[in-house]
Amino acid sequence: MSIGTPSEQSSNYEYVTARVRSRKAKLYDEDDYRKLTRMGTGEIARFMEESEYETEMNDLGARYSGVDLVEYALNRSRAKHFSDLLRWADGRLYSYVARYLRRFDTWNAKTVLRGIYSGADREAIETDLVRAGEFDEQFVSRLLDAGSVEAVVDLLDGTVLGAGLAEAYEEYEQHDRLVPLENAIDRAYYENLMKGLPADPSRPTALYIEFLRAEIDFRNLRNALRLARSGADVDPSEYYIEDGDLFSAADLDRLVGNTDELLTRVRESRYGDRLSAALDDLETADSLMRFERALDAALLEYAEYLSRSYPLSVCPVFSYVLMKEREVRNVRAIARGREAGLGAEEIEDDLVVL
Amino acid sequence: MIELELIAAFATVLLQQSAPAIPPTAGAAIAVGLAAFGAGYAERGIGAAAVGAVAEDDDMFGRGLILTVLPETLVILALVTIFVV
Repeated sequence: MSIGTPSEQSSNYEYVTARVRSRKAKLYDEDDYRKLTRMGTGEIARFMEESEYETEMNDLGARYSGVDLVEYALNRSRAKHFSDLLRWADGRLYSYVARYLRRFDTWNAKTVLRGIYSGADREAIETDLVRAGEFDEQFVSRLLDAGSVEAVVDLLDGTVLGAGLAEAYEEYEQHDRLVPLENAIDRAYYENLMKGLPADPSRPTALYIEFLRAEIDFRNLRNALRLARSGADVDPSEYYIEDGDLFSAADLDRLVGNTDELLTRVRESRYGDRLSAALDDLETADSLMRFERALDAALLEYAEYLSRSYPLSVCPVFSYVLMKEREVRNVRAIARGREAGLGAEEIEDDLVVL
Repeated sequence: MIELELIAAFATVLLQQSAPAIPPTAGAAIAVGLAAFGAGYAERGIGAAAVGAVAEDDDMFGRGLILTVLPETLVILALVTIFVV
C-alpha cells in the first residue's frame, strides 16, 4: 500500500471508470427493489442467484439459507468488487481509492470490538467482516483471536486507526461503554482521509477532497441531529470530526442545543438546495430516520452529479462505491424486513434508499 | 510548446529565404505525421476504456473496436494533403 506517497506511475482513469460504469449499470434499479420488497427471503435469494450474485450464491448456498445466505452473499460480493477496484487502479488513483476503502478497516475493527464486547463467538463475528480494506487476512484473524477488548485495542495501536485509542480505552474502562472507542476509530479514519493530500490540488484532486468533505459534513450533521434528538447528555465535540466545511467544533456545541438554528445553518449551506426537501420533511414529520435516509440519498446524488461532470477522475469510482454500498444495505434491509414480517409498503418507505 | 517553437522557427526561416525551407511534399508529410500522432494519443484513452468495457462484457468488443479506431479518420483526412500538394 502506498497511501500518503502517491506513486509516480500515471493513473489509468479510462480503464477503471469504464469497468466501474459497466458494473454500476448492473446494480439493482428501482424496479428491482420494488420487486424485492414483495418477495419472501427464499425468493430474494433466487432473484439474486439469477442476477449479479450468482457465484456468491452458488458458493454459499450449500452452507447457509434464508436471510443469512442473502447477507453473506452481499458481504462477499461487496468485498470482491471493492478489492477488484484496488487491483485495477494504478498510481494516484490507487492511493485515492485505497484511502477511501480503509473505511472497511474501521468497519471491521468496530465489528470485532462490538462482537467481543457482546460476547459473540468468533465465527459469528467473522461472517460480519468485510474484507475490502487494508488489513490482511493474518491481521484480521489476530483481531478475531484477541478475545478481549483490551487485546484488540493493543493490536490496533500499531495501525493508522490507533491514534487516540489509548485515551478512549480509559474512558471505556470507566463507563463500560464502547462509544468512545468507536469514535476514536472513526476519527482516526477521517483524519487519515484528509492527511497527506497534495497542497495545491489539481482539479480532480480538489473534487476528491470536496467529496470527502461532503461526507464528513454529513456525518457531523447526522451526529448533531441524533444528539439533539436523543437529548442525551453527551459532549458533542466527542463526536466531532474535523476538516468539514459545515460546522466547527464550537458551532456544533452550540447548535446541538438549538435544532432550528442547526437546520437553518444547513439550509443556508451549499448543501441547502439538495437537502431542502429532506429538511422540510424533518421539520414537519419530525422523522429522523427519514432525514438520515435523505442525507444518504443526497450524498449519492451529489456523487452521481460529480461523476457525470468529471468522467475521468476518482469521482465515478466513489460514486460506484457508494451505490454498491447502498445496494448491499437495501437488499439486506429488505431481506431482514421481510423476515421480520414487515409489509412491502413499510419496507419501501422506511428502509430502501433510492 | 515545442511544436509551436518549431513552427515559429520554420516561419522565420521561410521569411528569410526565398526558396522554401520545407518543400511542399515534406510539409504534407509532417502534416500526416502530426495527425497520426494526435490519433494515437486519442486512441490511448479510448483503447484503455474499451478494454475495460470488454473485460466486463464481451458483447462490447465490436463497439469498443469501432470507437477505438474512430480517431483514425484524422489520419485518413490528413492523407488528403498528400494528394492536394
